[in-house]
Amino acid sequence: MALKILPAVAFGTCAVLFISSLICLLVQPSLELIAPLWAALLTIAAAALAASIISRRPARGGKGQETGLYIYLDLILLAALALAIVAGFLSPDLVIKRPLGVGASFRYEIVLPALTAAAGVLGIKDSVNLIYGQGAKGREALVFLAIRFSAVLALLLLGGILFIIIYKGMGAISWEFLTTPHRSLGQKGGISTVIAGTFWMVLGAIVVSAPLGLGAAIYMHEYSKNPRLKRTITIAVSCLNGVPSVVFGLFGLAFLVSTFGVSLLAGSIVLGLINIPTILLTCQEALKSVPNSLREGSLALGATKWQTISRVVLPSAMPGILTGLIMGVAKASGETAPIMWTAVTFTATPVQMVYGIIPNVFQPVNNLDYHLLNLIYFLGAWDVEANAWGTALVLISLVLGTNMLAILVRNHYRRKISW
Amino acid sequence: MGLQKIKLQRKFKEHFIEITLLAIAVTSVMVMLLIFYFLIHESLKAFIELGAIPLLTGAKWHPAGDIYGLLPLIANSLIITIIALFINILVGLPLAIFLAELAGPRSKAVLKPAIELLAGVPSIVYGFLGIIILVSYLQDTFDMLTGRSILAGSILLGIMFVPYMTTICEDALRAVPGEFKEGSLALGANRWQTIRHVTIPAASSGITAAVILNIGSIIGETMAVLLVVGNVARIPSPIFNIFTQGATFTSVIAGEMGEVPRASMHYHVLFAVGFVLLIIVSILSIVADLTRERIRKKFGGY
Repeated sequence: MALKILPAVAFGTCAVLFISSLICLLVQPSLELIAPLWAALLTIAAAALAASIISRRPARGGKGQETGLYIYLDLILLAALALAIVAGFLSPDLVIKRPLGVGASFRYEIVLPALTAAAGVLGIKDSVNLIYGQGAKGREALVFLAIRFSAVLALLLLGGILFIIIYKGMGAISWEFLTTPHRSLGQKGGISTVIAGTFWMVLGAIVVSAPLGLGAAIYMHEYSKNPRLKRTITIAVSCLNGVPSVVFGLFGLAFLVSTFGVSLLAGSIVLGLINIPTILLTCQEALKSVPNSLREGSLALGATKWQTISRVVLPSAMPGILTGLIMGVAKASGETAPIMWTAVTFTATPVQMVYGIIPNVFQPVNNLDYHLLNLIYFLGAWDVEANAWGTALVLISLVLGTNMLAILVRNHYRRKISW
Repeated sequence: MGLQKIKLQRKFKEHFIEITLLAIAVTSVMVMLLIFYFLIHESLKAFIELGAIPLLTGAKWHPAGDIYGLLPLIANSLIITIIALFINILVGLPLAIFLAELAGPRSKAVLKPAIELLAGVPSIVYGFLGIIILVSYLQDTFDMLTGRSILAGSILLGIMFVPYMTTICEDALRAVPGEFKEGSLALGANRWQTIRHVTIPAASSGITAAVILNIGSIIGETMAVLLVVGNVARIPSPIFNIFTQGATFTSVIAGEMGEVPRASMHYHVLFAVGFVLLIIVSILSIVADLTRERIRKKFGGY
């Protein structure tokens, strides 16, 4: 066991090296104090590795030879890097200027942490191999370490994205921000008209897509006996699911704008069509989860097929259908490209109503995505950053909130209903 | 008499509902056909007047001078897709393996919905973050003329689709029957050997489908790319110069369509770009669908 202390020391120092150099790559502090520290750590790691190789050779006899040449190579690299830092080959004024004609230069602050990180990885690999051996066990330890590390990194990244939006957005959000229209190109005021526009557009999208998606799902699952037709629809739906949103925008521009003009109606139809696959697939899953015994029971009592579907199957599949609709809301509120030329303007006028409750569907409105896009375009020229963060936060709370609701509904009923 | 009438009415109603539902079901096919029709209809003029081959292989995109060639867009899209996919797999697959094989039940119960949630973050928000954080970081770090570059677009797209990649791959890994793994473990293989030689090969078609779907999403993603890629349509020189501005199919359409007059040549060419994009993505969708169909047949009920 005593022999394992040395590689453990090497592992620890290499891990410190690797993580600190990654942080330095991101933050880019001045490396004046850090560089000598890294040199010292590299020396310690190299020494510990060398010592552990030497000390384990007699214990394992001939097997020590199998440690392979590359460990020595790694050792030399570690030592060389330490030497290069100490001797000043890697001086702070080092710049690799536009190598091979690419449009970027690599400064000392980038090159040194990158090299150190690489050295750290090599050292970690060698020390794990020294602890667990070269065989299957060593490889398993190494791979699991890598997987765990990259999983943590990925989660930090994704969590960081959320955190920064919430942190920055909270500063911009106030009651006034949510309840007043924007003024002076979005520099002042809030987003009330934008929220109203989003609401009506998403509602319109659901009104369009719910019957289409649900009806198609019912036909596919309850009626269709023709496998060829079913296959055709399935392929069409998966194609439709893959159609890029910007292509939907082109389609709306060519098809709907010539008929309805740039309007709420055109935007709702385009978003509704985009939503069909999401709703259809979820509803199909929901219908699949209803056991056949329920249908047979109802039919045996003399109910017709439609009575069975409308009074037995659909109520039982309701949670799943609801999940699909909520996911449709989330999807429709996050799309920008399809509505850019079909439904929106950067307007601050409130949505006009007919009879007080129904919006005039032939007017263009503003929505959250498009508002944010415009604020991004204004970023350099005007002082809109705070409002942009606020809009982004409202947008993701809407999308993530509805998505979370969908997950909750699904989980709630999954637990509650057991056939 | 009355009973017969009710019966007839009922039969008629049933029939009517079935026909209506059939019509609704065929709508999605119709929509797909309509999309194709309108894109062909609007882009036909570009293909005829400029010639399909010169348009697709022209090396210069210069709308102001009425010079249109899609080669720069194809090259840029290809480079961005490859790098983004590389990042996507590099981050997403380990996360999927972690969730499916290594994570404990409690952390899985938190992490899986969290990752599903993140898949819903709108692309415009990613674009916003990209422009505020990523672009300025790259610009300062690598001393670039502008941070809006092919590299920025690739990194952003790579990260953006990690949740999709992870979710689909995790489902594929989890769909592998437990007997496979238990058999391998019983033979004395350790956990990594089991994952490497049993689980991943068994899930490979699901992972392939995930990769194909993600290629489609990456090529088709618009807003995030539009904001960070710089929108200068030229073939990077040298070809591996990812530190320069670029333009993809989607960014060109989204960036230029707002300003073109209707029925001009530029307008028709942008529709042609959309049509090429639609063809690529549709092929990818069908391939992914066939792959998934094959898995269903292979594993039966899973």
